[in-house]
Amino acid sequence: MKLVKNIFVASLVVVAVSSCRKEDALNLEDIPGLGGDTWVKGPIDKWIYDSLTVPFNIAAKYKWDQSELEQDKTLVPPKEESVIPVLGSIKKAWINTYIAEAGVPFFKLISPKFLVLVGSGSYNRGSITLGTAEGGRKVVLYQINSFRVKGMPGYVPADTTTVIEMFHVIQHEFAHILDQNVKVPVSFGGPSANSYTSDWLNVTPTEAKNEGFITQYAISGKDDDWAEMVSIMLVYGKAYFDNYVNSITYTTPTANGTTSTQARNRLRQKEASVVTYFKQAWNIDFYSLQNRTKTAINALLY
Amino acid sequence: MKKYLILVSALVITIASCRKVDDSSVFDKSADQRLTAALNAYQSKLSGEKNGWKGMLTTRTGGIYTFYFQFNDSNRVKMLSSFDSLSAVTIKESSYRLKALQQPSLLFDTYSYIHVLADPTPGINGGAAGTGLVSDFEFYFDDSTTTADQIGLVGRFNGSKMVLTRNTAADFTAFNTGQLAGGLMVNKILTYFKRVVINGTDSADLHTGRATVALADATGNLLDATKQSTYYLTLGGLGFSKPLTVGTKTMSGITNMSYNAVTGFITATIGGQPAVIKPVAVPAKVDLTSPARWYTWTKNSIYVGSLDGFHQQGVDDAFGVKTLAGYSFTQYYPVASPPYDAVRIIASTAYGPAITPSFPANTGRVVFPNSGFQFGTPPAAAATVYAKFRTQLFQAQGYYLVQTATGGDDVTTYDMVSVADATTWISWEY
Repeated sequence: MKLVKNIFVASLVVVAVSSCRKEDALNLEDIPGLGGDTWVKGPIDKWIYDSLTVPFNIAAKYKWDQSELEQDKTLVPPKEESVIPVLGSIKKAWINTYIAEAGVPFFKLISPKFLVLVGSGSYNRGSITLGTAEGGRKVVLYQINSFRVKGMPGYVPADTTTVIEMFHVIQHEFAHILDQNVKVPVSFGGPSANSYTSDWLNVTPTEAKNEGFITQYAISGKDDDWAEMVSIMLVYGKAYFDNYVNSITYTTPTANGTTSTQARNRLRQKEASVVTYFKQAWNIDFYSLQNRTKTAINALLY
Repeated sequence: MKKYLILVSALVITIASCRKVDDSSVFDKSADQRLTAALNAYQSKLSGEKNGWKGMLTTRTGGIYTFYFQFNDSNRVKMLSSFDSLSAVTIKESSYRLKALQQPSLLFDTYSYIHVLADPTPGINGGAAGTGLVSDFEFYFDDSTTTADQIGLVGRFNGSKMVLTRNTAADFTAFNTGQLAGGLMVNKILTYFKRVVINGTDSADLHTGRATVALADATGNLLDATKQSTYYLTLGGLGFSKPLTVGTKTMSGITNMSYNAVTGFITATIGGQPAVIKPVAVPAKVDLTSPARWYTWTKNSIYVGSLDGFHQQGVDDAFGVKTLAGYSFTQYYPVASPPYDAVRIIASTAYGPAITPSFPANTGRVVFPNSGFQFGTPPAAAATVYAKFRTQLFQAQGYYLVQTATGGDDVTTYDMVSVADATTWISWEY
């Protein structure tokens, strides 16, 4: 009886072991799209690889991939002839300026690693999204097809708006990433706190200005106030900012009870907060960076 | 005994639970292998056709556009499109790829003519901001409409449909010699109505819009839905999504179009028979009651407006009212200040002639005589445009009115066509 029992147990072990034995390695050769999309590389792919991927480990996706974008929006891919001018301009007026001020290691560490280009804007009810950033890694840039800089066919002075707006978007998103790496002090938004409103679309630019905000969007909350302050100051330069602040001279307090002096002070306090943050967190001279960025953008346009 | 039962049942469970299910009885290859094979087959079918493919794209809103595609085996595609006179003759190269999304799919992945229709940017294709003409550039292969010489595609985002058909050598030559623009020849005839005469016997008056065509009905308006169709460009002609009846003949397309600059006529073939398309000075049927209907409508609507001003000789806004500072629309305001009606340009300021329209009996016309008075004062900068506008408005022979939409007052539209010069008209809407 004991023998029978042992045979039973032994055969159970054998069956248990052999029944789950894998016959062959799975055939993985034919999985379509495994390892990402492939296509025959062209000059644009080579340019991106040589200019962004090798030096900074940044990838740029210009070919259509719906999975990178909002699924419910009508969008179109970029024109091929716009891709290198856009990325080249970004290199000149964003990458190179930060590197000149803070060095290559800083940029490699902080920069978003993945740019996605979209030909059109992303249309919402009443507004257009010009750029989005995700998790400090990915930045989506829209309206690539209307991007033209000096020297490109069909360039007209009105195109400066598109170009400046694109750098505004990039600097805005990069400011968010800086904030996500080293938190901006709470004191930045302190004096403005009671004016923030999620209903920013119904605030006119003038009303926002009178409350002490750099743009209409800045009034939407502390984080975007920060990103708007940094990006507008960099892209439009110091003279624009000073002029903007000094032009707040209304005499009757706003509906919120803000006076023009308070509004000016709010902007100056936020400016000082930005300058201090850049120095303390990243050891960057903000005014020097501002000067470099403005000069680089002007060189693209005028 | 109980122990054995447990052991035996454990043995049975062990054997049964790990039994591999062999799926080869259903498919002889794995899903991935079959998917790869399908993609490869589509790839070689697309790039293997040296004459390229003719694409007929129907957007979700019903517009039909003709494309020429020539795919190569390194992700590049050459394209023509019937969208406008430039895209029909200028080959543009961009990229494409085949990808396994939820189905094997064809992606046009950098911008070309096919994206123009889907572009959400206002002013690119005439569609609404945020949606464009509701089209696609990412399609899945629809095997139910695919044959050896044809590939069915369905848009993944908006569900527009495209059918690719193999080009013949003759099609290839036609596309590459600019014949896709042939149908645009119809725009050389500048009058409001174009008269189609088939075989010298059967005729009808045709009005072409941006993508639609309509025949004037027995009373001279364009309201009969059975006489309306969407049109698209074919090689050397036009196709209609719905055949139209011209007298005793059926017209489903116009081919072999050829413009004679001396006579100003187009000769063509319709349904295998010779046809002529020519300008129309006086419509075959003048709608005798439309001026009175139009006037009642303007009064019921308080006022009616036109965004584009006068169209003349094939040019929209021929007088340039849209260039005026702060231009909003052109207004027809009946009984603005009795006894005068106002025809005003609504710009930074509003100004325009004061008129009392007359309706000569049994002519189907309205005439706007110059009363010598006007509302408002035009700014000096608007003087030239305003002078042209006044001169046109006061045309002694007046205007025919062609009703172009019916329903409530808010959907009704009329086109007001100059009697003296049928290339001149203005469109009124609520």
